[in-house]
Amino acid sequence: MNFIYNIKVKILSKEEVAPNIFLIKLSAPSVAQDALPGQFIHIKCSKDNYPLLRRPLSIHRIDKEKGEIFILFQAVGEGTKLLADRTIGDDLDITGPIGNGFNIYPESRKIMIVGGGIGVAPLLALCEESIRQGSEVRVLIGAQKKELVIGEENFRKLGVKVDVATDDGSYQYKGLVTDLLEGSIREGWLADQIFACGPKLKLKKVVEVSSKAHIDCQVSLEERMACGVGACLGCVCKIKTKDKKEDKVKYEFKRVCVDGPIFEGSEVVWDD
Amino acid sequence: MIDKTCLKVEIAGIKLKNPVMTASGTFGYGEEFSPFIDLDKLGAMVLKGITLKPKMGNPPPRIIETPSGMLNSIGLQNVGVERLIKEKLPYLQKFNTPVIINISGDTIEEYIELARRLGEVSKEMGVAGLEVNISCPNVKEGGMVWGTDVKATYKIINSIRKTTPLPLIVKLTPNVTDIKTIAQAAEEAGADALSLINTLVGMAIDIDSRKPKLANISGGLSGPAVKPVALWLVWQVFQTVNIPVIGIGGIIKVEDVLEFIIAGARGIEIGTANFVNTRVTIEIIEGIEKYLIENNIKDINELVGSMKI
Repeated sequence: MNFIYNIKVKILSKEEVAPNIFLIKLSAPSVAQDALPGQFIHIKCSKDNYPLLRRPLSIHRIDKEKGEIFILFQAVGEGTKLLADRTIGDDLDITGPIGNGFNIYPESRKIMIVGGGIGVAPLLALCEESIRQGSEVRVLIGAQKKELVIGEENFRKLGVKVDVATDDGSYQYKGLVTDLLEGSIREGWLADQIFACGPKLKLKKVVEVSSKAHIDCQVSLEERMACGVGACLGCVCKIKTKDKKEDKVKYEFKRVCVDGPIFEGSEVVWDD
Repeated sequence: MIDKTCLKVEIAGIKLKNPVMTASGTFGYGEEFSPFIDLDKLGAMVLKGITLKPKMGNPPPRIIETPSGMLNSIGLQNVGVERLIKEKLPYLQKFNTPVIINISGDTIEEYIELARRLGEVSKEMGVAGLEVNISCPNVKEGGMVWGTDVKATYKIINSIRKTTPLPLIVKLTPNVTDIKTIAQAAEEAGADALSLINTLVGMAIDIDSRKPKLANISGGLSGPAVKPVALWLVWQVFQTVNIPVIGIGGIIKVEDVLEFIIAGARGIEIGTANFVNTRVTIEIIEGIEKYLIENNIKDINELVGSMKI
């Protein structure tokens, strides 16, 4: 397990990049130095103890040179709304970096990144890292409507091809982001790896499409979380494990916080 | 003003550097918190509840935040006693902090076997004592079934008592009509100390789906929300028994600890607050020392049960 810091970090900037979607830049040299794409930080959103629990948020970008990390989040609940109200210059109590991170295989030449809604949050850091490793990257973004398409510009700036699907057709393709994924596979753009983050049902579909095309797929999972350090066993998800002796499928509950949040799509049990 | 004070307490024959312990289930197997605090500074570590065989636990969602607290229904997921001995206890050997193992079972025989096995390795693996969980609200068999019945409490604690000379701390549930009778039964059966409270049974509902927010429907409530309940029960039990009482329930700051000690707790366990502040245990130990010095109290034991009425 990687070392987890519990430190106070300064908010350097805050921006509402889409309705209720916030981008916060933090000065956190130690965390930035160690952080991997796909990891998250666990944030105490308020200055007092109410609400009680920290909120796990993906690391959106990692700037090792400047010692900065970015978080991108939707202000939906009590905690994230308080976080969105914090001001530039405030100290934020965070623990991190936490989790395993995406595993980009050194031999992967072509990488497909699929994000749904705010699920794009951990994917920009992943995209940057994939490019650094010399891969050709394509990005598919899904959103309900045009205003909620997040991060398109930032991916484009990295020079990758970005396609967008909106549920209502208010921007680019009308339909599901997984339709775009199926389309690209049909057209013969076969990735060596697919990485996805977003709502559970979308992830399930991405895994189905990937497995049909025999492409390795990793997904970033979310679950209600308490400790964030692997102690409380609150944030588990159901994962298939192969029984070595009998070769039959068994299950175990793995911690999203430190065993994940990234899991092989084929290992995840989605149905209950 | 004095410049030094004594934080040492003795509970169930276990000598503690200070009264601050970790509550089972909130501190993993200790190692999880080693990046944040010096485990050597703790009074004692109570590890995640252990059963004879590994336990898979309940399906997710297992936790949900509530006002000033949280509900959990982990369902005692754990690695089982053999892996605890092989994989978890060796790491703790380098620390000079007593390790207390919280044990659970579906049957009396399982509790007995756990106590026997842990007794067997206690010297070699540094097991200072057992906390007997007869109060888990999240498992079908065992757990709270024992701790809500006077006769069952006596029977199980007495059986474990006959099995092991290890110090026995019995962890009580607040989900009873009269905790005093359960506390008495545990004392008469041979408990060396009592710890209370385990979580209060509760639930939460999603009004859009009309489904319970926890997959297990019910869960155990913990966090600052339960502190007044815990404090009242500690005070009642303290007046009833002659063995030390360990206060648990919603402690998040030093003032909470002092309340418990004044109500009669000789030690305390910190639980949910570990999730909020990874260094809460150490900050509280420092806070207790500061309070005692500022109030000219030479020995923390003077404060135990000193409530003025």
